[in-house]
Amino acid sequence: MSLEKMQFELIVNGKNYIFYSTPDRTLLEVLREELNMLGTKKGCDDANCGVCTVIMDGMAVKSCTILIPQANGRNITTIEGLEGPNGLHPLQQSFIDNFAVQCGFCTPGMILTAKAILDENPNATEEEIREGLHGNICRCTGYESIVRAIEAVRDGEYKDLEV
Amino acid sequence: MRFEKYFQPTSIEECVSLLKEYGTDAKMLAGGTDLVPRLKNKVIRPKAVIGLFSIPNIDKIALTEAGIMIGSMVQLRHLQKAEELGDRYVVIKEAAGHVSSMQVRNIATIGGNACNASPSADAVQGLMVMDAVCKIDGVNGKRDVAIANFFIGPGKTVLENGEILTGFFIPAPKPRTGTAYEKFAIRGDTDISIVGAGCSLTLCEDGTVTDARISLASVAPKPIRATEAENFLIGKKITETIAREAGKLAASNCKPISDQRASKEYRVEMVKVWVKNAILEAKVRI
Repeated sequence: MSLEKMQFELIVNGKNYIFYSTPDRTLLEVLREELNMLGTKKGCDDANCGVCTVIMDGMAVKSCTILIPQANGRNITTIEGLEGPNGLHPLQQSFIDNFAVQCGFCTPGMILTAKAILDENPNATEEEIREGLHGNICRCTGYESIVRAIEAVRDGEYKDLEV
Repeated sequence: MRFEKYFQPTSIEECVSLLKEYGTDAKMLAGGTDLVPRLKNKVIRPKAVIGLFSIPNIDKIALTEAGIMIGSMVQLRHLQKAEELGDRYVVIKEAAGHVSSMQVRNIATIGGNACNASPSADAVQGLMVMDAVCKIDGVNGKRDVAIANFFIGPGKTVLENGEILTGFFIPAPKPRTGTAYEKFAIRGDTDISIVGAGCSLTLCEDGTVTDARISLASVAPKPIRATEAENFLIGKKITETIAREAGKLAASNCKPISDQRASKEYRVEMVKVWVKNAILEAKVRI
């Protein structure tokens, strides 16, 4: 017997999407293959590396291990949704300025995890930032510049970019 | 295609009748952090997947005089940050907080951590230390099982076809009780434990131990209690020497395996160290 398609609904970056899918696909697969949002990356595909991180109802989650029924009706933010009317999101600009990007593959996941950390705790210490980033792997930067970029946003250096 | 049918029951009754109908061909989907990778890698090929997130009232924490009820669908991060649990249930929060990364804890559930029945499950250790009772519902009615008896072996629990774990009851700890869970892993919480050690100590007014529980992760085919070490502590006053002795007794209780993380000989040595650490930390917290 083949698996039947079902109707699902997602709010992605403020926009409503209604689509049909089999329920065995992951949120990551739907974002990339159904909605053509390629900013969210596929790395280990096993919930270890963190490049697929998106924000679901305010919480950072790994979209590679979420089946689409688990995300049904929920509010998703991907890297495509961060840019504001004043330009890039503070974290995006700070990552550029602090050279927290080398190959760039981990960057969307890093930035969304960083957003979740600061949204929950705007005064996060270096230790709390590092603890929060534990599920995101970067093989280029050694994390120093990433942490520095997040601290710069925490310290209000990019206030003019905030919406 | 990773499975043939998907269900999302809206009541326990509907869920258990589906579980009965499909038996071992059905898999329950809670947070999915263990299930989904296995579905994708085709480690398992279930006929039916049953999503549990439309079942009401199994995702709540309820505090009463007698203890707390934790629904099986409570996310680990919710548990980790649950202020209402206070210091008395700190080990539940602590153990939940040691599971993997923030992103995984945001979606993985306490019931899933238990039903997955990994010997290394960290969140389960908080339940073991607090002597939780597993609340099970099924086509033949409800039953309670002590957490230490819930596991049979790696990936196996006492749940029968047509049964679901709905939550845990954690009895309120006695006054002058301290608890702790210590995880030992190379890469911190995102790594799987080499050894995990939990401890609960209750002292009488002169500082003598009246009640002790020691639980261990990753050193046997299932989470275990180190009963010899527990009995040894009763009637004694906790010192570093006594804690060390208890660690040695706990090491003689466990049957670890060698794997890519550590050899069995190393694990036995580490049980001695981390049981001692857990006992001393539990004492500090009384």
